[in-house]
Amino acid sequence: MSDKERRWKCGKCSQELVQQKVVFNYLGHTFSHDLPACPDCGQVFISKELAEGRIAELEEELEDK
Amino acid sequence: MKLEEATAYTAKCFHGEPASCSYACPFHLDIRSFMARAAEGKWSRAYKQLREATVFPLIVSILCDQPCRTRCQRTLLGDEAIAIRDVEAACVRYVKNRKPQSYAIPPKKERIAVVGAGVAGLSCALNLAQKKFNVTVFEKEGTWGGVLRNHDRFAGFAEELELQFSAVKVDFRYNTEITSLEELAEYDAVYIATGEGGESFGLLDSWNPELFTTRENKIFLGGMLTGATLMEGIAQGIVVSKIIEGYLQTGKAALSPDMRYDKNYCGRYLDHEGAVSKPLVAASSPDGYTEEEAKQEAARCLLCDCDKCMVACEMLKRFKKTPKMIAVEVFADTQVNPPFSTRSLTRQAYSCNICGYCKSICPENVDVGSLLQLSRRGRMNDGVHPAALHDFWLREMDFATSEGSYTAAPRGKDSCEYVFFPGCQLGASNPEYVLKTYAYLEQKYACGVMLACCGAPAYWAGDDKRMEDNLQRIRQGWEELGKPVFVFACATCESLFAQFLPEIGRISLYEILAKDDSIVPTQPFAEAAVFDPCNARGDEEMQEGVRKLAEKAGITVEELKEKNRCCGHGGHIRVANPSLYDEIAHNRAAASEKPYIVYCVNCREVFSLKEKKAVHVLDMVFDTGSSDRLPTLQEKRDNSLEVKKKLMASIEGAEFTPEKHAWDDLVLLIDDETQKEMERKLISAGDLKEAIWLAETTGQKFIDESDGMCLASMVKPVITYWVQYREVGPKTYQVHSAYYHRIRIKEEE
Ligand code: SF4
Ligand code: SF4
Ligand SMILES: [Zn+2]
Repeated sequence: MSDKERRWKCGKCSQELVQQKVVFNYLGHTFSHDLPACPDCGQVFISKELAEGRIAELEEELEDK
Repeated sequence: MKLEEATAYTAKCFHGEPASCSYACPFHLDIRSFMARAAEGKWSRAYKQLREATVFPLIVSILCDQPCRTRCQRTLLGDEAIAIRDVEAACVRYVKNRKPQSYAIPPKKERIAVVGAGVAGLSCALNLAQKKFNVTVFEKEGTWGGVLRNHDRFAGFAEELELQFSAVKVDFRYNTEITSLEELAEYDAVYIATGEGGESFGLLDSWNPELFTTRENKIFLGGMLTGATLMEGIAQGIVVSKIIEGYLQTGKAALSPDMRYDKNYCGRYLDHEGAVSKPLVAASSPDGYTEEEAKQEAARCLLCDCDKCMVACEMLKRFKKTPKMIAVEVFADTQVNPPFSTRSLTRQAYSCNICGYCKSICPENVDVGSLLQLSRRGRMNDGVHPAALHDFWLREMDFATSEGSYTAAPRGKDSCEYVFFPGCQLGASNPEYVLKTYAYLEQKYACGVMLACCGAPAYWAGDDKRMEDNLQRIRQGWEELGKPVFVFACATCESLFAQFLPEIGRISLYEILAKDDSIVPTQPFAEAAVFDPCNARGDEEMQEGVRKLAEKAGITVEELKEKNRCCGHGGHIRVANPSLYDEIAHNRAAASEKPYIVYCVNCREVFSLKEKKAVHVLDMVFDTGSSDRLPTLQEKRDNSLEVKKKLMASIEGAEFTPEKHAWDDLVLLIDDETQKEMERKLISAGDLKEAIWLAETTGQKFIDESDGMCLASMVKPVITYWVQYREVGPKTYQVHSAYYHRIRIKEEE
C-alpha cells in the first residue's frame, strides 16, 4: 500500500484526521499552516513527504535569514 | 562585537588591492585594471584612468622610466615584463577623445600660488584648478615646461600641457620671479616647485617629505627642487594638491588613508601556478604598437590579484564572497536583535570546515575559518544559533563525556606518566583500535587511559560553555592521574589540546609506534597515498610516524599535492550544507588514484562512504582488519560502551553496567535501505526505540487500522523524529521509514 492511500487515525482517540490550523515555531519565527490533525486531542500529522519537502525548504529559508 | 574585532581577521588580505607593479609606479596607477581595459581595446576607459593618475598621460607615456616593470610578476615565469609604458602610449594614441572634462562644481574662494611652471608645479596647479580653486602660477621664464623645454619633443609636450589646461582657468604670470615669500602673503596656500637648484626660500632644511610641508605654515614644497625625478615631481604635484585641499578645509596637512602607499607591497608576489609563458609582443613600427599589438601586449598581463583561498576552498568558492566581505558580515550579523540574524551569513558560517587550509596557503596567513568560528561563538552566546545544525554531535559529545567516559591509571596504580586519550570516535568506530592499542601501551609504558571527548563538537558549534566545562573535566582527570603526558591517536584531539590545554604534555601514538622496531605493520596495498587530516597540519611527528609505519609495511607512499585538506567532516558542516559536504568528500577521495592510508577515523568513514579504498594505520599495526562496513550510529555507541566495559574489567576488575532504559529490550527490524537512509540523516536506532516505546505506552501515535501500520514522533531535544513502524512480534517492530524536521509544532497553551 502506498503511503498516499493510507487512512490514518489518531491512535489515542480513534478519530479520523481533519485539516486544522497548526502553529509552528522555528528560530524565533512563528507561522501557521493547515495540516491533518486529530479533532479531539489535536495531535498533528506530518508525513515524510511534507517533512522532507516543503518543511525542509522552509527550515533552510529561515536558517538563511 | 565591534567591527574591528571581525575585520582584524582579514586586515591583511590584499585581494582587490593593486598589484605589485602599482606599488612601484610613482603614480600608483592601478596597472592591472588598466591592462584589463587595454586588452579589450576599451581605450576611453583606460585613458580616463591614466589621465586621472598621471595628469599628463602623453608626457608620462613617453618619459616614464617604468619602475613598475621591475616589479612585474610576468618576469617570475621567465618572460619579459609587460611593456607597460608602450601600452600607455598606445592608449594615448588610440583613444578617440582626449578633451579634458570640466567639472560642474561650485568655484571656491581660496587662492593658491604655485611657484614654478615646470611639470611638478603644473600638475599641482591643474588639479587644484580642476577643483575650482583660484590658482596663480608664477614663472620667472617666459613660458612653461621647466626642464622639458630642452627636450627635442618639447613641441608635443607643450601641446599636451595646452590640452590638459584647456578646461580650467589658471592665472599664469610669466617673467615673474618671486624673490621673497612676503610677495605671496595674500595667498591661502603656496606650493614651491622651482625645479632642480631652484629657489627654496631657505625652507629646504625644514621640508617634510611625506606631507611636503615646511616650517612656514601654508608653504608647501616639492618637485625636482627636493631631488625628485621628473616623474616623481609630477606625482608629488598631484599628492600635494590633495594635501593642500585638505589643509584648506581643516587647517591641517594630512594624508588620507587612500593616499598612504606602502612601497613594500611591491614585493607581494603570487605563485602563478599553471600560468603559461608568453613572449613580449614586438612593435612592428618604430612609432610603437599598432592597436592590435597593444591589445595583445596588454593581454599578457597576468592581472595579478590574490584569490588563492577563494579558488582552493570549496566553501569560499561556493559563497563567492571575499574574505573582507565575510568579515563585515560577521560583524553585521551581530547587530540585529535576537533571534533574528541578518539573513546573509548563517549558511556560510556553518558551512566552514574550520580546517585552517585557507590560512596555510594565504601569503598573509589570513584565517577565514577562525573568523567564521568567531561568528558561530557569537551566535551561540547571543542565543541565535540554529541549534539543529549541531545538535547531533553535541549529543554525541554529551554521551562521550558522561556515560561513555572513563578515566583510570593502569592496573594497580593510581597515577601514571602516560595516559592514552583515544578520542570519542576511535573506539566507536572499532573497539579493537582502543583495546589493542591500550594493551600495548599499558604493557610497554604503564599507561593509563582516558575515554572522553576533546570537545571538538562544542568547539565547532561555537559552544564556549560546553567547551570550558569539558576542559575543566579533562584538567581535573589529568591532575588526578599525576599530570601524565597524553598519548593521542586523533589529530583533532591533539590540536585542540595544543590550543586549549597547552600545560598538558602531548605525544602522538603513531610516533611511539613508529619507534618500536618490533612492530611490523601488515601491508594492505603495495602503493598508497597518506591522507593527512587537516588537524595534523604542522604536527611533524604525527605525520612522520605514520609514514614510517607505512614504510615498515613496505608500502610505496605517494604524497598528495595538497596536504592536510579536510576530508569534509571538519566543522560538522554535514547537516548545515549536505551538498557542500558531499562535494568536498568527493574531491578529497579523488585527490589520488591510489588507496589512502588514514589516521583519523572520521576521514576513514568519509572515504568509506565514498567507496574510496582507505585503511586506518592502526589496522595495519594491530591487524585489526576493520571491515568495509561502517558501524551504525547505534553500534558506535554500543562500541564505546563495550570499550569502557572491557577496560574497566581489565583495569579494576569492575563490572560496568550501562544505563538502563525502558525501551532497551525492544527489537527493531531495519532493512539495509532504511538503515542507510537513517545514517545519512543521522537518526539512530536508539532514538527510534525510544519514540516507539513512548507511542506504545501513551497511545500518542497515528494508526492505519487496515494493516496496523503506526506513525509516531518524539522531540529530542530540538529535533522532531518520526518513525513509521509495525509490530511484527512481541516487542518487535519493523521500521518502515524514519525522518525528522527541525521546526517545532507549537504546543497548545
Ligand atoms: S589567500 Fe585569501 S585571504 Fe589571503 S590574501 Fe589571498 S585572497 Fe586574501
Ligand atoms: S602581470 Fe600585470 S598586474 Fe601582474 S605585475 Fe605585471 S603588469 Fe602588474
Ligand atoms: Zn486524538
